[in-house]
Amino acid sequence: MERIECQWCRLQNEPGTASCTTCGAPLDHANLVSDSGWREAPRLRDMTEFRFSNSVVQVEGELVPVAEIALAAGDAVYFEHHVLLWKDEATPVAAMQTQGGMKRVLGGMPFVLTLGYGPGRVAFSRDSPGELVVLPMHPGMELDAREHAFLLASHTVGYSFVRIQGLANVLHGGNGMYLDRFVTTGAPGLLMLHGYGDVFERWLRPGEKIMVEPGAFLYKDASVTMQAVQLPVKTGLLRRGMYLAEMTGPGRVGIQSMYVHHHAG
Amino acid sequence: MTAVPEGWVVCRYCRMTHPPAGPSCPSCGAALDVRTAVSRSGWTEQPPIRDMARIQIGASRVQIEGTQVPVADFALVGEEWIYFSHHVLLRCDPSVRLTNTRLSGGWNRMLAGLPLVMLEARGPGQIALSDNHAGELVALPLLPGQQMWTREHRFLAATGNVSYTWQQTDVWYVTGSGDDRETHYPLGQFGDVFTAQQTPGLLLLHSPGNTFLRDLGPGETILVQPGALLYRDISVGMHLHLEYPHGPQRISWLSSYRQRSLWLRLIGPGRVAVSSVFGHTSHEAVRSSSSATQHQW
Repeated sequence: MERIECQWCRLQNEPGTASCTTCGAPLDHANLVSDSGWREAPRLRDMTEFRFSNSVVQVEGELVPVAEIALAAGDAVYFEHHVLLWKDEATPVAAMQTQGGMKRVLGGMPFVLTLGYGPGRVAFSRDSPGELVVLPMHPGMELDAREHAFLLASHTVGYSFVRIQGLANVLHGGNGMYLDRFVTTGAPGLLMLHGYGDVFERWLRPGEKIMVEPGAFLYKDASVTMQAVQLPVKTGLLRRGMYLAEMTGPGRVGIQSMYVHHHAG
Repeated sequence: MTAVPEGWVVCRYCRMTHPPAGPSCPSCGAALDVRTAVSRSGWTEQPPIRDMARIQIGASRVQIEGTQVPVADFALVGEEWIYFSHHVLLRCDPSVRLTNTRLSGGWNRMLAGLPLVMLEARGPGQIALSDNHAGELVALPLLPGQQMWTREHRFLAATGNVSYTWQQTDVWYVTGSGDDRETHYPLGQFGDVFTAQQTPGLLLLHSPGNTFLRDLGPGETILVQPGALLYRDISVGMHLHLEYPHGPQRISWLSSYRQRSLWLRLIGPGRVAVSSVFGHTSHEAVRSSSSATQHQW
């Protein structure tokens, strides 16, 4: 029998599998793609399980989903401490120092990340309606996520941050000063984001552009450029300008339908 | 009432007629292949628009994407256009032309927290809107001349052939006295009124919870939480209704008056829709109010 390719993460699964063993996407449902080319991130079924390394992730709930991880010995995940929902008493945790401390504090980003390592169980929730976006990362991938959108990443995924270039982009881009950057080198890894509301993804061809509400931006391949663009309209009593983020391919862009509205400049 | 062509069906939710094709209504996107859920009390539950359902409007089309915080993704054709408040804009093609529409009554609208400026989007191209809150999208196709009253802040978008105005709700009450005196507008200070012009139009609303519909007969009344009202036919009347429960003797006169229920009394004929998320009214004693009926049990 033929193996089944997951339409979300493109990895192969054994015949008869109901959900992808790498990302949890249902395999018995076709991709939902809008006429305009946006693919809906798969809504993970309640209690879906998938694996990374030797550990198992189970997604629980659908409105405010929880990611519960049974960490195997030698595996670890890192996260912002306030997304911890519960953990076994015996599951070890450690502080993970990040680079650029003062810049991160000024940028409103977490100064210290927390590392949970196996063996043991630990569960995470972003505490808000939305969906978990599971992004298995193949070796050699670079992915940028809006700050505070990431739920957890496995220890094989490198973490840094990139400053958003250009004063106009910082002031009007609606994404703060920094983006989280996740990089894999030799080994694959797992990145999980929380998207508020529903999450949609689109692949842009080289040079293809799309305008998105800056607050709705969730993630992008590092190859996609982002530029704040002022629209020829004015809003409010003070006739303030309105900006959208112009994303230019090649690469994928993910957006969320419930977002922190950016301030018009 | 217009005759229904033979073999055509009438959508139970939007009342439009169309040939029996597809699992969802082409005018409002409601699922047609599910059994209508009607409560024992007569409320019909509006089924959520299915993920990726399409609604045709003139030569253009809108596709509803997502189910938690749904997105309305318009494919605008030619010169067809829509208008909306700028804060619901999620994304658009660079080819879509965006312009401002200034609304009359700017000062009053600003005081009431309503948008001062609408954006117009003209095709060709794709433009997507999201209310940015969990809930359902409700599509209301309007026939030429048909009017619909909607609660403020529930409007998502309308096609260019639907005119928009606003009117005082005239539903208010006052609590407290002296420096604590406060005027409450449980429906908001203003309501939105939409009217389809010479051609059929489409009005999209965001309902923050589940949506329930009911047809009131002439003179028929129903009491609803004021904040729950989503839309009503313009023929449906409304005013406040204060209901004071019967209590044991030991409850003081003041306490019993603080236990009152504050309702919105809707009077038919016409269609009304409520949302299951509504917010709460003040529990303070009502000092004065707009035109209201009362009942003491």
